[in-house]
Amino acid sequence: MNVSRRRVMGLGGALAASAGLGGLTGCSSGARSGSAGNPAKGDITVWSWAGPAAEMRALVPKFNKLYPGIEVTVQDIGNPAIWDKITTSMAANGAGLADVLHIGVDYLPAYTDRFPGQLADLSRLGAGKYRTAFADGLWGTVSRDGSRVDALPWEANSGGFYYRADVFEDAGVDADALDTWDDVVEAGLKIKKKTGKYLLGIDKPASQQDSANLFQLLLQLQGTMYFNLDGDIMVSSPEAVRAMTLIKKMNDAGLVNDISGGWNALITSIKSGTAAVLPWPTWFGGVIEDSVPDQAGLWRVRLPPAVRRGGTNAATVNSTHLAISGTSHHQAAAWKFVEFVLTRPQSQVQIYKAKGIAPALMGAYEDPVFHQPSKFFSGQHKGEVFLKALNADSPAFNYTSDYARALKAVTDAQTRVLLRGADPATELRGAADQLAAQTARKVAR
Amino acid sequence: MTTTVTKTRPAPAPQGKGPRPRSRLTARRLAPYAFVFPAALLFAVFKLYPIGWSFVLSLFKSVDGVDTYVGFDNYGRLFRDPLFWTALKNTGTILLIQVPVMLALSTGLAVALNSAFLRARAIFRLGFFLPMVTGLVAYGVIFSVLLNQQYGLVNWLLSNVGIGEVPWLTDPLWAQISLGLVLTWHYTGYNAVILLARLQTIPGELYDAASVDGAGAWKSFRHVTLPGLRPAILLTTVLSTIGTLQIFDEPFILTGGGPDNATLTIGVYLYQNAFTYFDFGYASAIAYVLAVLIGVLGLIQFRVLGDKS
Repeated sequence: MNVSRRRVMGLGGALAASAGLGGLTGCSSGARSGSAGNPAKGDITVWSWAGPAAEMRALVPKFNKLYPGIEVTVQDIGNPAIWDKITTSMAANGAGLADVLHIGVDYLPAYTDRFPGQLADLSRLGAGKYRTAFADGLWGTVSRDGSRVDALPWEANSGGFYYRADVFEDAGVDADALDTWDDVVEAGLKIKKKTGKYLLGIDKPASQQDSANLFQLLLQLQGTMYFNLDGDIMVSSPEAVRAMTLIKKMNDAGLVNDISGGWNALITSIKSGTAAVLPWPTWFGGVIEDSVPDQAGLWRVRLPPAVRRGGTNAATVNSTHLAISGTSHHQAAAWKFVEFVLTRPQSQVQIYKAKGIAPALMGAYEDPVFHQPSKFFSGQHKGEVFLKALNADSPAFNYTSDYARALKAVTDAQTRVLLRGADPATELRGAADQLAAQTARKVAR
Repeated sequence: MTTTVTKTRPAPAPQGKGPRPRSRLTARRLAPYAFVFPAALLFAVFKLYPIGWSFVLSLFKSVDGVDTYVGFDNYGRLFRDPLFWTALKNTGTILLIQVPVMLALSTGLAVALNSAFLRARAIFRLGFFLPMVTGLVAYGVIFSVLLNQQYGLVNWLLSNVGIGEVPWLTDPLWAQISLGLVLTWHYTGYNAVILLARLQTIPGELYDAASVDGAGAWKSFRHVTLPGLRPAILLTTVLSTIGTLQIFDEPFILTGGGPDNATLTIGVYLYQNAFTYFDFGYASAIAYVLAVLIGVLGLIQFRVLGDKS
């Protein structure tokens, strides 16, 4: 075939254009509107991931005894895939969106701000009566203006400090005596010297978003986060510099294992017992139990030490929620399911027993399961440890719609600190300035 | 379709029955359009419309959930965005280093696969082409496991021969090298097959003539093979350039663009802005700049490598 150069160039241009430009179509705001529908009838779809999806599926038979006319399909979309799926559906004005959506606190404000109207107002379905049923501070997350309700809280995760009791014992360190994170660093030095094990692990090159979890925990223990309640940038605050300096101190002392490579690398590191401490929230206890059942009795848990002497060791570090799509035509039926899962203590107890997912519903904690000794955690009353944190005063955190950008700026800064030994204050100042340029928010200095 | 197309002259239609000759002619003229219409419609809906709408989107910014017209602000923002320049630099580095290395390897591989001395040629050709049919995500995940610094097979093998842990994906420079290696593994065989196809069209007489003139292997390669391969080299260069500028899957899966943005490409940055930050206007502006870049580089390559005659 004889093809002229002009023709080929024309074709190349078209290819180039279509290659680079396709895929963003339909990304505009404005939602179609759904309807309440029949509260006792309808087919509803639920989007969640892994453990929570399995637990909701397990609740469906009991739900159907009360509501035989509602057929529920729970889909495990996977995490983080679920965020992309929700985003693209919302960007397509709600096309293809499931009726019930499981959404983390880090995404909820972005969805409600960027796609207003794409989540149903649950106050119209009767959510207001549960205003005081959940852990302190969570209602403000799901109902930012106090009247409209975007979702109902599910999990309320407090910061935790899971540790290998046998390793601490071998090193001669009393974990209960650690009052501050400076004490933890000192303990880490002893552990490394006596047992050769790292204190903890961090995904240093930030191959996953979770890499900033410890930094966030240290911020939240000081009552602050990436933004203040006015939405101003706080990533270079004195508290943030102190948190990053602590992490640098641990890293410089050789106490931080690099667990880059995502979830699999993290689980492998737990199985091979490379680190003594896992500073993860409530839900991670269930993961440890599932991952290393043969290590029963070797693990213990406590609330994390304070950052400053006398400071708090209780922080609700994150939460997840169930929302209903604004485009759903079965909102009333979907609400019945959400209500069944989140406001009925028996449902939350069943989920806790199976996966250790901590409920935000405070009434659920009256069940004995939260007050029983845990065989895996050396006979500790693990449920009570976290309940104490939930009952403590917890400041509200404003994640804002720019949380994802803030997280990116912070993880990049942390990577430079951990891999290149960069100065925390300088890097965080740079991150704050970058964030300000990207979002037009003010930096609180 | 019942229209007869083999007759050179249509038989006159009976009065009052069937189409008249003029109508039949019209039907014949319309027939190709009818065949082309579905493809044209699909192209318009799934290509032209997105291209046009992306440009419209690039002129808007979301303010409090409302798309607000901001003119060319998103394009101006690109020039002030250090992460965009980082992504551009990283993509350019891959283009300038990995692509030439890969094409040189592909050329050598094509010549080797074409050699009369090679036995079991089909197996070798299949072997080198197989990476191309591997799913992008699947091979990205496999390489991320293989190259894991602590638990990966590659470092385990290296440690067995006395070489210490290589931070394949955790050090900025090594992450770039790893990305280059992975891309080379995936696309070398594909380019080699294109070059091989062209190589087989070069007449053997030219090599005989070169041999009679006293040309050795290198001179034959330089004066016969390379000029003969020129159209295929142009094609593979342009395709590799377009592919590299759009590169997304490999850095996204292997490193997420890290560490410290060392493997952040324009494609990954575009994705982050659209689907992580929900900044569709800005992402569209990046897409348009990317398309212009691809167009300009394609044009330059045709000018430099194209047939001068």
